[in-house]
Amino acid sequence: MEGYGLFIPLLLGIWGYISIIAQLTGLWWAEALISGALTGLIVGDVNLGLQIGATLTLMSLGMWTYGGATMPDFNTGAIIGTAIGALGSGLEGGLAIAIPTSILMTQLDVLARATTTAFIHGADKHLETGNIKGITKMHLLGQIPWGLSRGIPVFLAVWLGAGPIQSVINWFPKWFMGGMQLSGRILPALGFALLLSQVNVKKYWPFLLIGFTLFAFLNMNIMGIALIALAIAIICMRLEGGPSNV
Amino acid sequence: MSDNLIKEVQEQEKIKIDKATLKKAMWRDILTLQWSWNYERMQALGFLWAILPVLQKTYKEGNDLKEAMSRHLQFYNTNPVASPLILGAAIALEEDKAGKASSSIKVGLMGPLAGIGDTIQAVLFRPIIAVIAASLAMSGSMAGPLLIFLAGLLWMSVKVPLFWLGYNKSTGLINEVAGEGLLDKVTNTATTAGLIVIGGFIPSILKGLVTPLQFARTVTVNGEAVEKIIKVQDVLNGIVPYLIPALIVGFAFYLIKRKMSPIKVLLILVGLAFLTSILGIL
Repeated sequence: MEGYGLFIPLLLGIWGYISIIAQLTGLWWAEALISGALTGLIVGDVNLGLQIGATLTLMSLGMWTYGGATMPDFNTGAIIGTAIGALGSGLEGGLAIAIPTSILMTQLDVLARATTTAFIHGADKHLETGNIKGITKMHLLGQIPWGLSRGIPVFLAVWLGAGPIQSVINWFPKWFMGGMQLSGRILPALGFALLLSQVNVKKYWPFLLIGFTLFAFLNMNIMGIALIALAIAIICMRLEGGPSNV
Repeated sequence: MSDNLIKEVQEQEKIKIDKATLKKAMWRDILTLQWSWNYERMQALGFLWAILPVLQKTYKEGNDLKEAMSRHLQFYNTNPVASPLILGAAIALEEDKAGKASSSIKVGLMGPLAGIGDTIQAVLFRPIIAVIAASLAMSGSMAGPLLIFLAGLLWMSVKVPLFWLGYNKSTGLINEVAGEGLLDKVTNTATTAGLIVIGGFIPSILKGLVTPLQFARTVTVNGEAVEKIIKVQDVLNGIVPYLIPALIVGFAFYLIKRKMSPIKVLLILVGLAFLTSILGIL
C-alpha cells in the first residue's frame, strides 16, 4: 500500500497545530469528531472520518482536563487514524491505529505542558528589566510547544508512517485487532469514572441511578432523559430553597 | 454615609480606563488566555498579558508598574469561560488602585468558578452535545461536526457579557457568588441534571459490552431430554440490563478513587479488554 505525498501530511500537521491552539482559546476544535470529519474531507473519505471521529468522541465523553490534567489525545488519534484508514484498512484499521495513538500522545501533551514553563521564566526575566514587548512575545510564543507537540507527530505519522503502518495493520494478528476493538468499547468507562471522581458521588448517586434506570429499563432516548433531568434538577433546586427562590 | 466618604477619597486616585483599552484586555483574555499554559503557573502569563494594557495606563511609574505586573504573574488557573468575569473584576479594582484586592479577588474567585465552569462544561454541556453530534455523524451527516463547532462558538460567546458583568460588579461579585450561596446552587443544579444524563449515557454508550458466553444444558420437556442453549447475556438482561457496563465503570471509578493515575487505569482497562477478548468473555 502506498502512502501520501508531502502536501496532505503537511496540511494535516498544520490542522493538528491549529486545532490544539483553538482548543486552548476555548473553541471546540480539538475534538475527534471535527478533526475526523476534516481529515476525511482532505483525504477524500468523509464518511470514514465521521465514523472514526464519532467513535473517538464517544470514547472521550466523560474526559475533561480538570485543572490541566492530561487525557488521551483522541483529536490527534482521529486525524492519524482517519488518514491511515482511508488508505484501505477502513474503520477497523483506522481505529486500531487511532486508539494507541491517542494513548501515546499523552506523553507529548505532558512534554508540551512542561516545556512551556520556559516561556513563563522568560517572562519573569523580561519583567525584571521592564521589557513589555518581551513579555508579550513570551506569552504569544508559548503556543509553539503546544502546537508542535501535535503538528509534528501528525505530519510524520501521515507522511512517513501511512504506508508502513498500513502494511503493519495487515500483519496484525486477529487477537490484536479483537483486543483493540474491545478496548475501544471499554475506554468510555474511564471517562465516566473520571467524571464521577470529580463530583460528590455519595451525595448524587441517586440521580445517577435515575438516569441509568430510564435508559436500561425504560429504553428512553437521550432527549427524554435530558428533559427529565432538567425537571428533577429544578424541583431539587426549589426544595433546597435559599435566598432567591426561583 | 461613611461609604460615600470613602468613595470620595478614593475618587481622587481613581483612574478611569477608556473603553478601547478595556476591550483590548477582554479580547486578549478571551482569545489567548491559555496559549502559554504551563505546569508551573498555568494561566498566569495569559492573565498578565490580558490585563497588561490596563496596568500600563494605571501605573505610570516604572516600579509601580513592575510591582503590579509581578502581582499578576502569580499562579492563576480557572475555567477559561469564567476568566473574563474575574478579569473584569480585577480591572475594576486596579482602576481603584486597590492592587492587593485585585490579586486576592483572583485567588478567591478562580477556584469556585473553575468548579462551576468545569461542572457545567464537562458534566452537562459537552456530553449532551457530543452524544447528539456523534449520533448524527454515525449516520453519515456533516451536521454532527457542525453542531460541535457551533456549540463551541456559543460557549465562547458567553465570555463577553461575563467580562462586563465582572467589571461592573467588581467586589460585589464575591458576595453575589459566594455570599448568598448562588454558586453552590447553580453547581448543585447542574450536577443533579448532569448526573441523571450521565446515568443514562453509561449504559447507552457502553452498550457494546456484552458477553458472548453461552452454555448448553439438558432439560427434560415432557419426559424427553432436550438440549437447550443458554446465553449468559440473556440471563443478565433478565436481572439487570447493562450490568457489565455498570460494573466496569464502577471498577474504573474504584481505581481512580484509590488515587491511581488515569493513565494507569487506562492501561489496566486496555489490558482487561485484551484479556477478556482473547478468553472470549467479552
